Amino acid sequence: MIIEWSLVFFTLFAGLAVGTFACVALTEWTGKASEVRMTGAVVVLVTLAASGLSSVLHLGHPERIFGALGHPTSGIFMEALAIGLFGLGVFFYILALRRNASAQSRRLVATISMIPALALAFAVGDSYVMASRPAWNTLLLPLLYVASAAVMGCFATAVLFARFNLAPPEKLKPATVCALIVQAVLIIAFLIHMAAAPYWEISRSASRVLYGDLAPLFWVGLVLVGLLIPAFLLQRARKDAPPRFASFGLACVLMAGVAFRAIMFLVGSGVRHFF
Amino acid sequence: MPQKQMTLVIDLDRCIGCCACEIACKQENDVDLEVNWNKVLNVGPIGTFPEVEQYFLPAVCQQCEKPACVQVCPTGASYKRAEDGIVLINKEICIGCRYCMMACPYGVRNFNQQKKVVEKCTLCIQLQAIDEKPACVKNCPGGARIFGDIKDPNSDVSKALQKATSDATHQLPDVGNKPTGRYILHGKNATWRS
Repeated sequence: MIIEWSLVFFTLFAGLAVGTFACVALTEWTGKASEVRMTGAVVVLVTLAASGLSSVLHLGHPERIFGALGHPTSGIFMEALAIGLFGLGVFFYILALRRNASAQSRRLVATISMIPALALAFAVGDSYVMASRPAWNTLLLPLLYVASAAVMGCFATAVLFARFNLAPPEKLKPATVCALIVQAVLIIAFLIHMAAAPYWEISRSASRVLYGDLAPLFWVGLVLVGLLIPAFLLQRARKDAPPRFASFGLACVLMAGVAFRAIMFLVGSGVRHFF
Repeated sequence: MPQKQMTLVIDLDRCIGCCACEIACKQENDVDLEVNWNKVLNVGPIGTFPEVEQYFLPAVCQQCEKPACVQVCPTGASYKRAEDGIVLINKEICIGCRYCMMACPYGVRNFNQQKKVVEKCTLCIQLQAIDEKPACVKNCPGGARIFGDIKDPNSDVSKALQKATSDATHQLPDVGNKPTGRYILHGKNATWRS
């Protein structure tokens, strides 16, 4: 299957928005680093808009999209619903910030907004789970999208804190390590699933990913840029100083996010693909 | 569940791989040059001379009983016609998301780059409306393509399947979509590998 770039960026930006908003919500729950909230929320809204725009670019007839409202069970409807509710939640959160709402109200809006946010992170992966694509037909796929959002969110948090010259939250480093490990484990599990999936074909084989034509994308894009370099940057990070190289780390995980999604499309061949 | 299920049975023992069905389909339905609604594939040759075998596999929409393309369509543009079970696309409401193309296990749907909608075999419903058979069926010189209601034991397709032995009747992999299309290929001619 060819890479659907508009969908790659739709899910990438959606994951980044969810991860970044989780950071903003965290500052509300902990009551710390209030400086990052407004910037963070605006970044989330812009990223979400970029995500929505990317998805619209994929459509042949975006002007007919409202027809989807009549079929609330499709994956696209669930994605659209989650992105709409999440966007609305972020908008109300910004409004709450602008109007100096009480900490309790802001926390409530942020917490409620996290529900569609998490649903969105899961839904963008879940839409691809289908029996016709053996490599995709696993719950590991939406979980990978959630893990990817978590990793991007951790590095987006570091960037936000660096931007305001703040020391990172105490638990950011262990949380990032945890997210990277979970992502690595899920990637390994996904490869095992792919190798064991029914209707085996070379286009969706683990050998193609590990030492075939997708190997550079996997080893460089995903393993080196997406796991090893971020892990190295984390190891170098200091507890009491603003995160160094945070933007570089975020760029790395974004590139890895693109690499993972590209690999996903390239191994997403059908049971039989006749045309 | 439709009372009828119109579908194609393709007798591979009779298919000579001439691609007349492809051309007839394109002419009848004005299908773009770079796309196909129906395509004849070569399976093989496999083996070592003189033990070599090959057959031709005309690939086309399998008119599934539980079509995944219909289930995932966000607007209902892909639908299964109630009266005869044919899977169709309403191009007036298709948003061109290509989700149905991903959901089809056989990759027999196409995206029309000009109209920005998805297209597929319709079993020539415009010809059926004037009591004619699909163009591919009418134009197959080997008589390999048989069209009819698979739920009617007296239809041409049911008779063809009854005539073929059960081990010579095949279908494409079923991943829950329940394809209704059938292929006939006897082991003496070639081993089914699709």
